[in-house]
Amino acid sequence: MNRDWESMRKEYLARISECKELNSLEQLRIELLGKKGSVNALMQEMKNLAVEEKKAFGMAVNNLKQGLEKSFAEKLEQLKKAQLEAQLAKDRIDITLPATSYRHGTLHPLTVIRQEIEDIFVAMGYSVVEGPEVEYDVYNFEKANIPHDHPARDMQDTFYVDVRRLLRTQTTAIQMRVLEAQGNKLPIKVICPGKVYRRDDDDATHSHQFTQIEVLVVGEGITLADLKGTLELLARSMFGPERQVRLRQSYFPFTEPSQEVDVSCHVCGGKGCPVCKGTGWIEILGSGMVHPNVLEEAGIDSTKYSGFALGLGVERVAMLKYGIDDIRILYSNNIGFLRNYKRFE
Amino acid sequence: MRVTYNWLKQYMDLSDVTPERLAEEMTRSGLEVEGVQPMASASDLVIGYVKECIDHPDSDHLHVCQVDDGTTVRQIVCGAPNVRAGIKVIVALPGCKLPGGEIKSGVIRGQKSDGMICALFELGVDKKQLTEEQLSGIEILPDDAEVGNRKVLEYLNLDDVIYDVGLTPNRADCLAMWSLAKEVGATLNKEVRLPDYSYECETVPATLKLASETDKCPLFEGKIVNHVVIKPSPKWLQDALHAAGVKAINNVVDISNYVMLETGQPLHFYDLAKIPLREITVKTGLDEIYTALDGIEYKIQPEDIMITTGGKAIGIAGVMGGDDSKIDEDTKGIIIEAATFNNVSIRNTSRRLDLNTEAAVHFQKGIDPKGGHKAVERSVQLLIELAEASGIEETVLCGTNDFRETEIIASVNRINALLGTKFSYEQICSTFERLDFQPRKVSDDEIATVIPSYRTDIKVWQDLAEEVIRILGYDNIVSTLPLMPTVQGGLSELGRKKRVVQNIMNGAGLSEVISYSLVSRAKIDEGIMNCDDPVEIANPLSEERRYYRTSLLPSMLETAAFNVARSNEEYGLFELANVYGNDNDVEELHLSMIMSEKTTDSRWNGVADRNDFYKLKGIVLALLDKLGYDEKRVSFTVSEQTNEMLHPNKSADIAVDGKFIGKIGVIHPTCRRKYDLDDNVMGELNLSALFAAKPAKVRFTSVARYPAVSYDLAMIVSEDVTAEQIVKVIKKAGGKLLKETEIFDVYRGANIPDGQKSVAVKVVYQSAEKTLSEDDIMPHHTEIISQLRKALGATLRDS
Repeated sequence: MNRDWESMRKEYLARISECKELNSLEQLRIELLGKKGSVNALMQEMKNLAVEEKKAFGMAVNNLKQGLEKSFAEKLEQLKKAQLEAQLAKDRIDITLPATSYRHGTLHPLTVIRQEIEDIFVAMGYSVVEGPEVEYDVYNFEKANIPHDHPARDMQDTFYVDVRRLLRTQTTAIQMRVLEAQGNKLPIKVICPGKVYRRDDDDATHSHQFTQIEVLVVGEGITLADLKGTLELLARSMFGPERQVRLRQSYFPFTEPSQEVDVSCHVCGGKGCPVCKGTGWIEILGSGMVHPNVLEEAGIDSTKYSGFALGLGVERVAMLKYGIDDIRILYSNNIGFLRNYKRFE
Repeated sequence: MRVTYNWLKQYMDLSDVTPERLAEEMTRSGLEVEGVQPMASASDLVIGYVKECIDHPDSDHLHVCQVDDGTTVRQIVCGAPNVRAGIKVIVALPGCKLPGGEIKSGVIRGQKSDGMICALFELGVDKKQLTEEQLSGIEILPDDAEVGNRKVLEYLNLDDVIYDVGLTPNRADCLAMWSLAKEVGATLNKEVRLPDYSYECETVPATLKLASETDKCPLFEGKIVNHVVIKPSPKWLQDALHAAGVKAINNVVDISNYVMLETGQPLHFYDLAKIPLREITVKTGLDEIYTALDGIEYKIQPEDIMITTGGKAIGIAGVMGGDDSKIDEDTKGIIIEAATFNNVSIRNTSRRLDLNTEAAVHFQKGIDPKGGHKAVERSVQLLIELAEASGIEETVLCGTNDFRETEIIASVNRINALLGTKFSYEQICSTFERLDFQPRKVSDDEIATVIPSYRTDIKVWQDLAEEVIRILGYDNIVSTLPLMPTVQGGLSELGRKKRVVQNIMNGAGLSEVISYSLVSRAKIDEGIMNCDDPVEIANPLSEERRYYRTSLLPSMLETAAFNVARSNEEYGLFELANVYGNDNDVEELHLSMIMSEKTTDSRWNGVADRNDFYKLKGIVLALLDKLGYDEKRVSFTVSEQTNEMLHPNKSADIAVDGKFIGKIGVIHPTCRRKYDLDDNVMGELNLSALFAAKPAKVRFTSVARYPAVSYDLAMIVSEDVTAEQIVKVIKKAGGKLLKETEIFDVYRGANIPDGQKSVAVKVVYQSAEKTLSEDDIMPHHTEIISQLRKALGATLRDS
């Protein structure tokens, strides 16, 4: 019995390839390869053949079966892939819709600056020391070489609590506590940050409450040149490596000599602009060599040891660095303002 | 203080120093120039002569003037009431730039106007320096003014620059122009020529009787000048006073003011005729109402130093003289007073009376111990020259003038060691010469100096080191960094913990605020975590800022309300700050937190996430856990005390190891209304109290090797049964194998009777030794169920 195996194969393959869905492919598979399918029917026919025909017929059926199985497998893979792709296409979302907000909190800009400065000095082996804001006159003034009738008291209008206590007007009070506690354990290398208070009416440039950071070093052979180097390092860390530092003669009762410290303007680079009022320089710090009276008061031999101190207003640095034009904004705690200070710098 | 370029120019050669450079040099060496302002500023001025002046035909106040400017006659419309024909005036020509703008030719109400006739204030002269007459009209120049002169500012002595110098308290000596000149001379390395105040005149024996009954007046120099002639001061003196910001009055008064400016020594001149006893006594102890020179009555107290004659007060010493002995046009003779008064006493009196006169300022800041003598001699010299003084008596001295100049030895090596410089002996020596410190060689290293009387700030050799560096310049310092033994630095323990708190708060989405420490009484009373009675400020600026706060939440509520009023309705905020009690030992670190109920305003997918009690509870637990206090040590209990800040039934007291550390809760409806907020959740922790508890250390625990088995329990219990009670019963009954108990659902409503709730709990069993079988677990599980029934009356639902 002669059959046209080739046309049969072609016909079946064509039907497989025409399948567009997994269901119809499965039905066709059952029709062709199932127990009662066409291929099995051919197998049944084989029983009736003569022995000499059986071999060739069997081979032909097997060929057909294998060819169909392979084709089914390929088609199945193809249809599954198509189905997945269709599903993915259906899943499409609008990625431009707004995000579900995840909000990290922010540090207050005064904290940002304070931590930055603390970290600069901690990296050089300084200890961070704090002290009480409700302070004794003796630490705030007397030990800082400012006795009761000293005209320098006029420079700082003070909130008094009673005859002995006040709200500290300067973090110098912390330094005086450090000197008292550590005068016999030299060297001293400390940074003293904290809130201070002055009896000033609040306006764009004055605040009755503000933040100071002071640095104190006492040891053998400490010089004004060391102070200048430290000031340069601080200025460059805060305002960029190009900054220059200029010292101007000034006066603080607890240091001698004393200086105001100008830093070349970080906005114009020193050419002159509105931020530096055209001078190219911005006054940022006060500094000086610790007054011998202050050292002696702490029991430190001023003929053997010397030291320097420097101090800055954190509000002023924040205002300069971020371009804030009114100090009161820092204490308004407007959330829109606070959320500006979220970036790592 | 105020000083002008021209004033300094009379003492030294400033031909090679511009006004700008002078300001810069002064600032760098310690006299900070805070402002530089031209006395006047105008270009293209000329002196003109008003030939004709008629009323403007179309105006009731304008005039049409024909003005000769030396080259041509120009028509100028002028509105000043005092303009008239025949006067000499200042004319601003078209193109002239004045502070108010540029002058242009124009037509005013139909009349051509070719320039402007000026008043002094229009040239930029400070209005405070001008008289009423000068302010209300144009400046009328003297008849001898030269028409056509174009150097008008020079003619008026207005081509000058005013410096506003901020003196540091140690350099009060520079309030005296002569000391200031010396200082500027030293800075610029210029020779300074001060006026020679010697005079040739026969003096007559003194008739003045001086006495001081108080130690607050250690020195009083007095002198009678029997005859003076009162008249206006010459122009140079008027201009000089004007430049210093002092009004000219008459020659004698002007001399007293001028000499104080020069020497820094306050002077007072009395009308001799008004003190017929020729006796002056300085006293304290008066208690009376006194009318001073300004015509105002002042309440004098016993501690005030008073000048008296015949027992009657004639002046508040060092502050202001009296009305009845003041110099006027009828004065024929005077008594000169140059005294030293106690600076603290003067300060107290002047502050109390709110009378901060120039004299008082000088006394408070400290005067030259030798200033009195200089001032008296200089006054006499000028009185002879300008007021025809005669009958000059000998000076009478009350008290002693035993001032001796300080001698300080400076060591070149020590100065260089302090400064970190390498200045030579000669450089240092020449600096002292520039400062008139009379340097004298002691050895190759040491220089002896004699400090001038006015430099009361120089006391120790370090002061001399400062003089060296400020005069030679800070630019000479080559920067170094301190070389010293290595010491361990770092944040304090507390400092590190604060940063942890800040990090956890930030991670929870809370932003840091910093608010004012000083608050009103109402804010103190509002607090629910007050540490103690508040510290009260004795001299507050306002009631709003009278107390140092004792807790933080009241400020935080204010911050929240401030933001909500500005439509910032979604927030999470915290503040970390100290609070103080009136008891000296009370200093606590507190943390306040607040979150709006609303969390986000842009959720397009309808998922609402709102902050509630449990969210803040979770944040607090995370914070405590991070700081070393795990959940097992923390308890939340209903507060015994209620307040109007937190909802009584939606708030908790927090304790760690049984010790109270803070409160959290939903805002009380009353508080919510008061601040106009939504259902905020907030709290305040006393971190100092927390840190007193010992934090746990991190320890290794092995990871479980056998699987855990979990069962769900669903029960119906009465509403009063708390989650904590359920968990407690389960833990007690569950035995060692019970690892975890987690409430995962609480339900009320359909199928649950009123007053009851359904609670679902997951219990997890695990063993470190083996995989658990049902037989291992069942006894415990049955015990849990039985205990829940027994202890809490729970009905177990089928699960």
